[in-house]
Amino acid sequence: MDINTKKLKKNAFRVSKVRGITASRIRVPGGHLNAKYLDVIKHIAQTYGDGTIHITSRQGFEIMGIPFEKMPEVNAAIQEIIDGMDINQEEFAQGYPSSGTRNISACIGNKVCPFACYNTTKFAKRIEKEVFPNDLHFKICLTGCPNDCAKARMNDFGIIGMTLPQFDAQRCVSCGACVRMCKRKSVEALKPSNYRPVRNAEKCIGCGECIVNCPTMAWTRSKKKYYKLVLLGRTGKKNPRLGEDFLKWVDEDSIVKIILNTYDYVKEYIDPNAVGGKEHIGYIVDRTGFEEFKKWALKDVELPPETEVCSPVYWNGIQF
Amino acid sequence: MNNYIPFSSKILDVIKHTDVEFTFRMSCKREVKPGQFFEVSIPKFGEAPISVSGIGADYIDLTIRKVGKVTNEVFERYVGDTFMLRGPYGNGFDVDIYKGKELVVVAGGTGLSPVRGVVDYFANHRNEVAGMTLIVGFKSPEDILFKEDLKRWKETIDIVLTVDSTNDTKNYRTGFVTEYIPELKFQDKNNAAIIVVGPPAMMSFSVKGILNIGIKEEQIWVSHERKMCCGLGKCGHCRINDTYICLDGPVFNYTVGKTLID
Amino acid sequence: MGFILDKISADKFLSGLKDEYYIFAPKRFELGGIYSDTDAIRYSEINSFDEIVFDEKSQYSFKETILQISQTIFYFTEDQIKEPNFTCRQKKALIFLRNCDLHGLKRLDDMYLNNGPEDYYYKKLRDAAEFVVMGCENSFENCFCVSMGTNQSDAYDLSIDKQEDKYLITCKNSKLNNILLKAGASSSDVVPKFVTSNNIQVNIPDNLSNDVATSKIWDEYDVRCIACGRCNFVCPTCTCFTMQDIFYTENGKVGERRRVWASCMIDGFTDMAGGHSYRVKKGQRMRYKVLHKVLNHKKRHGEQMCVGCGRCDDICPEYISFSNSINKLENAMKEVTSNE
Repeated sequence: MDINTKKLKKNAFRVSKVRGITASRIRVPGGHLNAKYLDVIKHIAQTYGDGTIHITSRQGFEIMGIPFEKMPEVNAAIQEIIDGMDINQEEFAQGYPSSGTRNISACIGNKVCPFACYNTTKFAKRIEKEVFPNDLHFKICLTGCPNDCAKARMNDFGIIGMTLPQFDAQRCVSCGACVRMCKRKSVEALKPSNYRPVRNAEKCIGCGECIVNCPTMAWTRSKKKYYKLVLLGRTGKKNPRLGEDFLKWVDEDSIVKIILNTYDYVKEYIDPNAVGGKEHIGYIVDRTGFEEFKKWALKDVELPPETEVCSPVYWNGIQF
Repeated sequence: MNNYIPFSSKILDVIKHTDVEFTFRMSCKREVKPGQFFEVSIPKFGEAPISVSGIGADYIDLTIRKVGKVTNEVFERYVGDTFMLRGPYGNGFDVDIYKGKELVVVAGGTGLSPVRGVVDYFANHRNEVAGMTLIVGFKSPEDILFKEDLKRWKETIDIVLTVDSTNDTKNYRTGFVTEYIPELKFQDKNNAAIIVVGPPAMMSFSVKGILNIGIKEEQIWVSHERKMCCGLGKCGHCRINDTYICLDGPVFNYTVGKTLID
Repeated sequence: MGFILDKISADKFLSGLKDEYYIFAPKRFELGGIYSDTDAIRYSEINSFDEIVFDEKSQYSFKETILQISQTIFYFTEDQIKEPNFTCRQKKALIFLRNCDLHGLKRLDDMYLNNGPEDYYYKKLRDAAEFVVMGCENSFENCFCVSMGTNQSDAYDLSIDKQEDKYLITCKNSKLNNILLKAGASSSDVVPKFVTSNNIQVNIPDNLSNDVATSKIWDEYDVRCIACGRCNFVCPTCTCFTMQDIFYTENGKVGERRRVWASCMIDGFTDMAGGHSYRVKKGQRMRYKVLHKVLNHKKRHGEQMCVGCGRCDDICPEYISFSNSINKLENAMKEVTSNE
């Protein structure tokens, strides 16, 4: 058997521990799909694989137990899914064109969750369109609110939804719900003064607890959607660590631009001898220094005036 | 007319009863009945409903217990300064009802304030009632209010003054007011009238005791205390069922008062 | 007898109205809902008919247009008290509301004009308000106006029904009538719309009394209710408020007194100096509210307080149904009378 493993990996197949057997990875940007594609996945699993599917930790599907020789047929069969999910593709019916940049994962977002500050799927799909295909190892994750159920802080780019609470004092009845809930569930950014809440803008993380708990709509959401961009969290053997705050109260366009800029930065500075051409961005930043990264990342980015930039950023994590 | 606008009232005198209870004699020429209350504006805190504890031609007494955050500030006030007041509010006690009766007043602690005017009236006009007994209880000798009045009233009416507990058993009777209710003697129980004012638990036990000695519900009057924000039947805080304590009370015949449980 | 307004005459009518009135109506606040990417429908001053939401129920009632959520009663200094200027209302207010709400207005009047002395502040805004009833083509979710007898009211100045891009009007107010004629409204036979049935019916038992307080039906709300007070704040008939003194200076002698809406469901409603409070359990607060709405207000003022608008059900984050609690009262009365 003569198989180019580099090529098949790039094609979103896997070299498995069982000789001659691969698995096909299906991207599901934002972790949201029309249920009809489950039929396609089921069909592929039952026709070419061993009839089972693994749900991946990045919200994709891994169809297991596929013999290498079935890869062309599988690629033909997943075309419907690739089209349906509007995944960028280079050649028709040839499967996924790359796998380095991982599936864009997301929590359920404001489609369902009352706490979410935006439509995570929609934004995930926008990013997917911008960044895919790309061989560079990027992990991007979106979460609707600072609860971070999606674990955005374990990713290179973690996007956390925020809302900038608007207060109409004339609607406030001094019930204290916002102050109480902010203290109990969030960061205690509200303090009562003269029977009304006063917001500590420095402390506020934009979670929206005040809004959700206000019985009179004295607190409402900002029309504009805001995000916190956290950077360069990672798992892995060397130095796992949580992503750190880089930008607070940033907008969608800036985030997209920063991610794209980071691709340029990585191309410039990636270790040419990296094993498998794969190096976590964080290690590159450790090498070049944060300032160099920041220079590249913010190139031609016009941040909204309300955006707070944290600089420099320090990471900790587990050191071995 | 705007009922929410208070009037300015001068502090004519301050009488200290205990470490926490003071009577403020305030200038006021309005017609006031015992058992009525005023909304007193207290700087840095806001309004608090305070019962009238004494009434003169051009003054009223407001006895304020240092409880809650609202009433603390009052004690920093001095003679010559002013308070903003609204009122009087509520129905108050109608002394005419009790004329010719064998009247018993059972009061607990600051509950003596709203009935002080009634007791004082009949102590001064003893011949207008067939009998007049005051059973009044305080926590300890240090908590006794209106000591001067009690001394003076003793001359004309029967007084049972008791404290919940004390080491000085020589000078003070001990026990709750309820313990002295069975000892009451009447020439004609049907001509008895009983007023009960005090904390909720004291009131309910006292009334029980009074009913037990064969007094009828309609012979009993109670004064209810509630959170009263406006005094005008608007704010809703003092409503019980279809009764607004600030408008319809705070004084109720027990036949009505017994339904006002919440 | 009535009028039909097409798009052009409707615009003219509205601009005629604006000369004479501030117009308050339920309006869509895009992205103004408490959850992300949701709208809110609540009252606001409006400038065109297009802004008025006819086909949905407002989350909050018209109440806030004449009974402000937070109202300054007066400003005070050491020796002076000054009422706020009512300059915000140089013109009259024209308030768009539903039939049920128009009945709700009577309940507000019961409290603010007839329960003790007239309320100075309410009276001012009330006297300067006229009312436009918006007909209901169909019952909305959770409405039970028919059971409460509040599905129709003729105590309006103007009635309006939207029909595709036309407005059907009847008018009882001569000033409004003139503005209509000036706007070129065409005469037509119009009967204001109102619903005659709801999906939800309630039954208030004839023998209902406050004895039902001891029933076990209230207990489940001890746990279910979160005491947020939304039911009170959206209600067109809840009228409670709390006084607040705000001090501008250290010595507490300069500041303002205001009143803000209060809720009998929220902690602190009954707190007295010294720390005692009543109805600590949420079930008992529920009992207090329910019996006020369908028993005690009527005892005092002759009509049930609840107007069946169902907004309390619409808004409750814990899905507690007020209408369902009413419908438990019959069995609850059986329970308490059999206990005797």
